[in-house]
Amino acid sequence: MTTTMMRATCAATLTASFLALSPEARAGDGRLAIRVGRIITNAGPDIENGTIVIEGGRITSVGADAKGSWDAEVIDRPELVAFPGWVEAHSTRGMDRPNENIEVAPFLDVRDSIDPISFYFEDCLRQGVLAINVQQGSLCAVGAQGRVVKPFGLTIEDMTLRPSSGLKIAAARPGRSRALQAQSVRRAFRDLRQHLEKLVQDKKDGKDTARREALFQGRDLDKEENKKGRAMEGSAPWKVANLETIPRGEIDEKQEPLLRLVEGKMMAFVACDGAVAVTQALEISRENGFLANTVLVLDGDAWKAADRIAEAGVPVVLGPQLLYVERDPLTGKEIETFVPGVFREKKVRFALQSLNPTAQSLWFQAATCVGYGIPRDEAIAAATKVPAEILRLGDRLGSLEKGKDGNVLLLNGDPLAVTTSVQYVVLDGNLVYDRSKDVRVQQILEGVEQPNASPADADDPADIDPHSGEKKSKSDKKKD
Amino acid sequence: MTFLSVAFAALAAVPAVQDAEPRAWTIQAERIYTGTGRNLEKGLVVVSAGKIAAVTVGADEQSDHPKDSLRAYAVTAGLVDAGVRVTNWFSVEQSKEVTPQLRVADTLDPYALDWERQLRGGVTTVLASPIDRNVIGGLSVVLKTAGPESIAARTLKADAVLRGSMGSDPSAGNHPAFGRPTDFYSRRPTTRMGVEWEWRNAFFNTALGLNEKDPGRATLMAALQGKLPVFVQAWTTQDIRTAVFLREEVQSRPEFAAAGMNTPRFVIDAGAEAWKEPQLLARSQTAVVLPPFPAGGRTRENALMAWNVAKILADEGVPFALSSHGSGDVDQRLSNQAGYAMAGGLTFEQALAAVTSTPAKLLGVESRVGTLEVGKDADLVLWSGEPFQPGARVVATIVDGVLRYEGWNAVQGAAVAR
Repeated sequence: MTTTMMRATCAATLTASFLALSPEARAGDGRLAIRVGRIITNAGPDIENGTIVIEGGRITSVGADAKGSWDAEVIDRPELVAFPGWVEAHSTRGMDRPNENIEVAPFLDVRDSIDPISFYFEDCLRQGVLAINVQQGSLCAVGAQGRVVKPFGLTIEDMTLRPSSGLKIAAARPGRSRALQAQSVRRAFRDLRQHLEKLVQDKKDGKDTARREALFQGRDLDKEENKKGRAMEGSAPWKVANLETIPRGEIDEKQEPLLRLVEGKMMAFVACDGAVAVTQALEISRENGFLANTVLVLDGDAWKAADRIAEAGVPVVLGPQLLYVERDPLTGKEIETFVPGVFREKKVRFALQSLNPTAQSLWFQAATCVGYGIPRDEAIAAATKVPAEILRLGDRLGSLEKGKDGNVLLLNGDPLAVTTSVQYVVLDGNLVYDRSKDVRVQQILEGVEQPNASPADADDPADIDPHSGEKKSKSDKKKD
Repeated sequence: MTFLSVAFAALAAVPAVQDAEPRAWTIQAERIYTGTGRNLEKGLVVVSAGKIAAVTVGADEQSDHPKDSLRAYAVTAGLVDAGVRVTNWFSVEQSKEVTPQLRVADTLDPYALDWERQLRGGVTTVLASPIDRNVIGGLSVVLKTAGPESIAARTLKADAVLRGSMGSDPSAGNHPAFGRPTDFYSRRPTTRMGVEWEWRNAFFNTALGLNEKDPGRATLMAALQGKLPVFVQAWTTQDIRTAVFLREEVQSRPEFAAAGMNTPRFVIDAGAEAWKEPQLLARSQTAVVLPPFPAGGRTRENALMAWNVAKILADEGVPFALSSHGSGDVDQRLSNQAGYAMAGGLTFEQALAAVTSTPAKLLGVESRVGTLEVGKDADLVLWSGEPFQPGARVVATIVDGVLRYEGWNAVQGAAVAR
């Protein structure tokens, strides 16, 4: 390691919580040249003995003959492999709690729930997952706004890649009838419509209750975006006439995020626990005009509705269990279905989800896809480029190309091999992770117990149901 | 073949339904990992009459029976799992804490789905044990995961080991009676102490001849004389110590020497914390069966299982086997466990031994299974890539010369070329 590298290493921190960041490590304005034995760009052929140059937090050039400026810090590791970070399209982890006890809460934001020092984000960094779409769990009708974050930073703002990444909507909810759940979700949109119509009527009648309520709620009605009214946009089959008469600031802030969804300015991550729920999800999306902004988060036998999903043209985030097992009612035999294979055949864009954050992360899921016959580049894309595109971050994440974020994993082998591990992580051009200094790796790998390195009494990460975000019930747990 | 089209339509993997007669197979592979230290590139495994007839370098000469020719990237011997938990709740008789004479084979179901799950992961031989709700649960059986529809016909070794447990499992559910006992479970043992006391009580009674009328006496005698290995479940360091010290007590106390019962053989099962004191296990020559690697570092009994546990045992010379505990999950199969052990520092050859030849030796069936050698049972696993990598999978499993499982690919259809 060169001396300049050492400086970067010192500036870098293992976890956001343990060390204060030096100013030069935060700004992302440094110049960095990473020279490695192989660059897997994920955008064309691999480059042998190439260099990645990062300036101002962005990649400025990649290639066998790319050169950094004379004053760039150099990471020269010919034995390592460079790879873009993995992208988690949907996660219910990293928050103080995954669910709220309010059924319709689009006004909430996971910003207020994300815990930057959660071990979850540390695990993400260790496994090379460099962007995570944190969404509320599925125990709601319309849930909070999610947020795409990096697994590094002292504050939520430091971590944020994209605020308000989308609303969580649950097409089904455990322990509740499908009819009641569908009614709850539909009622949320009906309430929005009635609220808007009442505003228009009140304005026509000369009442100023909405304005007074807005002032009572502390909204600044003189702000430019609040002052003006605007006709209702979007492609919803229903419209509220004369909405332009209402200054946007007068719309109840509890309803406003849902209006953004209907107007096509927000995405929806719709949780479907099975094929039946897919029908509900697509109907509700169509009824309210946000089908083009819908991503289905699948679980259970939802793959059986693959034809309907393909017809609707929406992308999906697959549940972590890639192999669906059911019993043939006639023969009693078990039938295994490899879920990504179904969606590939139907030409549906799919992103993978980690099985758990610690050991069977996105690399494992991509490798499993290769084992079941999915071409390697497509399997890798399902955990890098496709989720980046689904999250509308395709221009920033997913590959090592000029103009993209300066995020690079340095691996000691093939990204899909079980013996490979992340040695260094460069995030926005800063070295933020060094495996040789990772105390928790020493614990997991070598059993060296370190103070504060392990949540000894924490839940087993494999015991969390990624769909609802809650702990699995005892009957769901494995035998051991 | 009807099953072909059905399976393909559902993109599914179903066990191949073949006639039970073993066929003459020729399997071509880029890599043949024999498990004997002699690996072949671009070779053949020839199977005849349920046994391995040849393992050679070279391509298949024009066969007269093209249907009986299979191709895969790699071939290994069928995997052996010495720790599967395939047995049901009725596999142990809980009216007493110590029931050494009971045979778990009598309660196993040849139609259970567990066996097929194992086949899909390439496991062809398992040790099936009573569940650990008794201190000494009974006699385990080594059997094949496929074969005729009876446990007896699939048995490789009956009454192979005596199964028991340390720790909190055998006392789970029992509660001390303060005052009037309220139900069947107001009984001992209620603690780890009580569990160990039951072990010592059984052993001392056998050595001192105090249990002449006990139906389990003959089994306990065989165990103490070393004729029958004793598999003791012990997850944590304290339970591993308890087991090792119990054995050393038997070896050193004059009561056992006088009765000629001072040479028991112990195997620690589910020894998650075996890495903490490997010298103890090396000193007492106790083998270990490791539980599945936990995602969060901790296993049941809150044991800390480091990922280099297998590497430490290998370096100390402690014989060890890996186990999936019978999981059929795509990330938790025995082949995955071998991969995780490699992530912890084990070489491929060591990992292969830990899921084939070593467990075969621990179970005393190494003359039949565990390696690819001429004359051994034709238990073969065909792989789509380098075995134990998550990017490779079991594409076919042959047991005793019969193709019992054939996988289907998500994309190309049949995963095995014929």
